[in-house]
This record gives sequence, C-alpha cells and structure tokens, in this order.
Amino acid sequence: MIIQVKNLVKRYGDLVALDHLSFNVKEGEIVGLLGPNGSGKSTAIHCILSLLKYDKGDIEIFGKKMTPDAYDVKRDIGLVMQNVAVFDELTVYENINYFCGLYVRDRAERKRLVDEAIAFVELEAFKKFYPKKLSGGLLRRLNIACGIAHKPKLIILDEPTVAVDPQSRNKILEGIEHLNAQGATIVYTSHYMEEVEQICSRIVIIDKGRVIASGTKEELKAMITLGEKITVEVFTIEEDQLRVLREQPGIMSVDYVSKQLIIKSDKGNNNLEIVLEFLKANHIGFGRIYSELPTLNDVFLEITGKQLRD
Amino acid sequence: MFIHVFIYRFKCLIRDRQMVFWTLLFPLLLATFFYMAFINLNSDETFRPIHAGVISNAAYQQDQSFRSVLTDVSKGEDRLFNLKVASSKEKADQWLKSNRIQGYYFISGKELHLTVKGSGMDQSIMKSFADQYRHDHIAVEDILQTNPLALNHGLMADVSNHQSFVKETSGGSAEPNNILNYFYSLIAMACLYGSFWGMKEIIDIQADLSDRAARINVAPIHKLNAFLAGSCAALVILFTEILILLAYLHFGLKINFGNRAGYVLLTAFIGSVLGLSFGAFVSAAVKKGEGVKTAILMAVSMGGSFLSGMMVMNMKYLVAEYVPLLAWINPVNLLTDAFYSLYYYDSLQRYALNMGMMCAFIVLFCAGTYQIVRRWNYASL
Ligand SMILES: Nc1ncnc2c1ncn2[C@@H]1O[C@H](COP(=O)(O)OP(=O)(O)O)[C@@H](O)[C@H]1O
Ligand SMILES: [Mg+2]
Repeated sequence: MIIQVKNLVKRYGDLVALDHLSFNVKEGEIVGLLGPNGSGKSTAIHCILSLLKYDKGDIEIFGKKMTPDAYDVKRDIGLVMQNVAVFDELTVYENINYFCGLYVRDRAERKRLVDEAIAFVELEAFKKFYPKKLSGGLLRRLNIACGIAHKPKLIILDEPTVAVDPQSRNKILEGIEHLNAQGATIVYTSHYMEEVEQICSRIVIIDKGRVIASGTKEELKAMITLGEKITVEVFTIEEDQLRVLREQPGIMSVDYVSKQLIIKSDKGNNNLEIVLEFLKANHIGFGRIYSELPTLNDVFLEITGKQLRD
Repeated sequence: MFIHVFIYRFKCLIRDRQMVFWTLLFPLLLATFFYMAFINLNSDETFRPIHAGVISNAAYQQDQSFRSVLTDVSKGEDRLFNLKVASSKEKADQWLKSNRIQGYYFISGKELHLTVKGSGMDQSIMKSFADQYRHDHIAVEDILQTNPLALNHGLMADVSNHQSFVKETSGGSAEPNNILNYFYSLIAMACLYGSFWGMKEIIDIQADLSDRAARINVAPIHKLNAFLAGSCAALVILFTEILILLAYLHFGLKINFGNRAGYVLLTAFIGSVLGLSFGAFVSAAVKKGEGVKTAILMAVSMGGSFLSGMMVMNMKYLVAEYVPLLAWINPVNLLTDAFYSLYYYDSLQRYALNMGMMCAFIVLFCAGTYQIVRRWNYASL
C-alpha cells in the first residue's frame, strides 16, 4: 500500500473540512480525488504530507507513519501544488535545479534529472526565462517539473490544470500517464470529471470532507440507477403524451425543454427502442436523436443531489 | 545541502531589485542628499546673523521683556539677528521690500507679530524665535502670577537664553560632530532596513506564508538548516551593503568615523544581525499579510531613525532627556549612539552598553523566531 488514510478529521475552527476521510492508494495506480471546490481535496493532501496539523486520524505512506521529519518517506514523494510555487528571481532551470537539489545531492546526477524534467515538460526553449515571462500554461508546466524532477515514487498533483489552455492541459494529462507508465504512483485531485475519467484508474469522490463513493469509473457508474440518457429533438408534444411516456417501463424521468425531450432511463437494454416505438405509435415527429451513458457528474448528482460543478 | 540552499537563497535575494534598492541604493541616495544639504550649510563656516527688523512703536517700548530678549540675541560675535529698528510700519515694509531685512517683528496690544517675505531657513528661524518667545512669555506670566519671587531667581535669564536653542534647530550652526549623528543614524536605518531581508527569509520558509515554502517543507531536509542557510545568505548580503555604505561615507563623502575602524566594523556587523533578526522575528510573529509586516518594519525603521535624530538632530536629545526608556529600546538609536560614542568618547563604556543592549535584542529576536520556525506543521495554510 502506498498511501493509507484512516478516519482523517481536520477542523478549521468550527468548520469540519475533513470528516473521517478514509481512502488508500495502491502501487501503480492513478487515483483521482474528485470533488467540487471546497470539498477538502487540498486539505487532505496537506494533511497527508504533514504540512497541516489534523485533529484525528492515521496516515501511512509506504507503510510507514507519516511525520514531518520522516525524511526517508519524503524523499520519494513529489508534490505539485495547486498554486504555482516557484521563485520569481530564479530562471526555469534554476528553479528546477533548486528544488531537485533538496532531494538529490550528486551534481552530475542532478543535472541529468533536471534536463530530463525540462525535456519532459517541453520547456527546453525557456531554460533561461524567469517565471514572470512565462504564460500561464508554461508556468504550470514549470510548476510540475519542480515537483517531479527528482523522480519520486509517489507523485501528488493538486489541480495541476486549473486555468490552463486545452492544449497545455492535454500535454499535462499525457505527461501524467507517462510518469505512471514509468512506475510512479499518482494521486491526482481535480474538480473536472472529464480529466479524472480520462486518466485515473480509480476514483475517490469527495464531498464536504467525506468520501461518498470510490471505485473505477465503471464501478461508480454501476452504483447508480441511471443507465442511459436519451435526448430527442421533438417539435411538439402534448402534456398527456409526456405523462404516458413517463409510465413506460424502465423510464425514470422525462423532461421537455426548448424542443428537447430528455429521457433518463434505468440500466435496461432496450430503452431507446421503447422511446422510438412510443414516438412512432403516437405520430410524434422527431429530428435528431442520441443516447449518452452516465457521467461522473450523474454519479455525483445522484448521490449528493447537486451538480459537481456549480 | 546547506551550501546548495545558501547559494540559491543568495541568488533569490540579490536579484530582488526592489529590495536591493531599499536596502542599498536608498541609503546611498539619502547619504548623498544629506551631504549636499550640509555642504551648503557649512559653506559659510559659521552661522550668518539674520537681518531682522522690529517696529519701535509704543507697545514695543513698553514691553520690556521682549525688548531685552531681542537686543540680547542681537549682540555679540555669535548673534542671531542683525537687528534694525524701524520707526514705523511703512519703514519696515520698505526695508522688507528692498530685501534689507528678511522680516520684522512688531508688538500690538500684548501680542507679538511677525511679518516675513518668502520662505526659507532665515524666515523659519525668525518664526521659531517668535514661537519660542510667546511660549516662554506665557509661562513666565503664569509663574509670576503664582510665584512673584521667581524673577529674583534668574527666571528672566533662563528665558532669554534662546539663542542656542533657535540656532541649533536650524541646523545651521551645527558642529561637525552634530552632522555626524545624521550619518550615524542613516547607517542605523540602513541596518534596520535589513529587516526586509529577514522578512523574505521567513516568508520563504513558513509554509503558511507562501507556497514556495511549502515545497521546502515537504522536502527531506531539516527546516531549521534551510532557514539558517538562507539567513546566512541574507546576512552576507546585508553586511556587504552596509560595508558599501560605510565605504561611500568614509571614502566618498569623507565622513569621519574616528580611528576605531575595527569597532566601527563590529558595530556595523552587529547592526546587520540586529536588523535581520528583527525582521525575521516580526514577520514570524505577526500573523498578518505581507503588507502589514512591511508596514511594521517600515514604521520601526523610519520612526526609530526619526527619534534618533536622522531628520531633526534635537530629537535624539529630547528623547534621551524626556523618554529615556524609548532611547534604550529604539534599536536605531542604540546603533546611532554606538557609532556616536565610538567617535566622541575615549572610554568604551557607553559603547559597550549600547552593544550589550543590541545583543540582548538579537538574542530575544532569534529565540522568538526559533520558537516559531522550529514548528513543522501548521494549523492552517
Ligand atoms: N486556512 C483555512 N482556514 C479556514 N478554512 C479553510 C482554510 N483552508 C481551507 N478552508 C476551508 O476548508 C474547506 C476545504 O478546502 P480545500 O481543502 O481547499 O478544498 P478543495 O481543495 O477541495 O477545493 C473549504 O470549505 C475551505 O473554505
Ligand atoms: Mg484545492
């Protein structure tokens, strides 16, 4: 087990930021901590790393109790913070070299690692740049390079893609998968379900400092009753007809807004067929039609009753 | 590891242009301004009496005390005024217009009035003479009402002894070693500005103050070691800046520090440590934003410099006389006074006392900073 968190409680005054949070991370996984803003993801990361004092709970990393002076544990961890944390007075190269030097003493070895990290985030052309001169996306990449240059076994990334253009974002996500393929275990926090769905092998959904569900994305989606969301372009439909449609087997809910008929159905196999037959039988004209599988947002919605993103 | 952090902290600090400006260029500029101001004042060697007038009306003739004070300060080698007595207001105005006098006094009723042309050093001296007279005059009347016998005990002699006071605030007649004090407190101010380096070190090591610091806190290094390495870098920079300032004052502006070069350097070093540890302590202890920390450091450095006579020489004496405690807890004053007593006294007693106080402060600041920095994890980030 790489990380084991048991019953972690963290209060800020009266606010309970983490409420008996428990989860674990196994070797080789990419675990996504998914939750809306303010759900306690960063707080959890900071507690795990012994940056924050916590009120209760046990935290083990690499099978050892995590404490502020557990140097042998810290040596194998890389952290990429939510906010860009670099020195404005140091160049791209110097920043990475400085942070890497806190882990790696040997200079030749360090040079190799720093060059590798720079190549990894594709900042070769910006080595001598000061952070103030970098665009948001490049800055994020520098921030990542500073956290991972020492080749840690465990990499924790706290929302590394916030405020990043789509191109840089994809680069970052690919990079994370690459690091994982090289053997690093990854903890990735985000409030973007698409990202988490894209790269994480296991997902822990957090809300109000509690784990509300966890598993692979397939497992999570299997947990909820929603099986399929069917959207049909319909030009006119009567109230009565809507009511009848709602009573069809397998149909959970029907909404008609701005000429779109949105039908949520359970996990049955022939839901689309039922809908189409109903429309034809009632001579209701329709245009485009498509069907979606549930997203993590639907999972979140069904469990908490609110949207993942506000 | 220590060397690694030292080198990189050194780079971080030395490349912070704003900080280098305030801790090095600003004191150098200020020194230059002081120098130019004093050069002008000193060009006349001694104080030049001011051409002042007074209207000799009936009220003036009756007001014996003012008359005697005014004539008193207008005679002798080091007189304050070249007094011209005008028979009428028209006459005085005419003199004023043709620049034969800088201003004139006149009494009407029981009030002392002053008319000046333009503004400048002479005019302000005339004004402060008038203010002082009014002030003392009221005091004298009060005293005489309650204790008429005071007159026999030399009260008038006390009161009419204005000359030295007015001339000293003007700065014009300042003796060479008075001018020195301005430069000494300037060096002291520069040392205290070093507190900003201390603040930077704290912000970059305390994870609840910056995210950069959080990175250091999760690295497998001893936090206090890293802090010590950074502080050493800051001290090297600050002490070098102070040495540059001293060199500029000594070789460039030919300011005299006496013959005790070793002690002067020691004082500069202790001053640097004092500034640095003060900044670190305040930044660690005050749980407010960088703006508030900066404001506090600025207020103490500038306020302390003011109270130790950097802007007005007399401040130092006034504080020493009326609020001696303030003089002893004002770090800028301790430093200024250490330099001053090195130059002024043969005995090192007063110097040692100042240095002792500074060392006590340093121990206090370092201990306080240690208590805060040694904690590893935080209640909130
Ligand atoms: N330093 C702090 N003081 C008080 N409350 C805080 C502090 N940091 C975070 N919180 C609160 O704790 C909760 C969790 O915050 P955080 O861990 O930053 O969430 P996330 O990273 O998931 O967006 C939020 O309600 C936030 O307002
Ligand atoms: Mg966060």
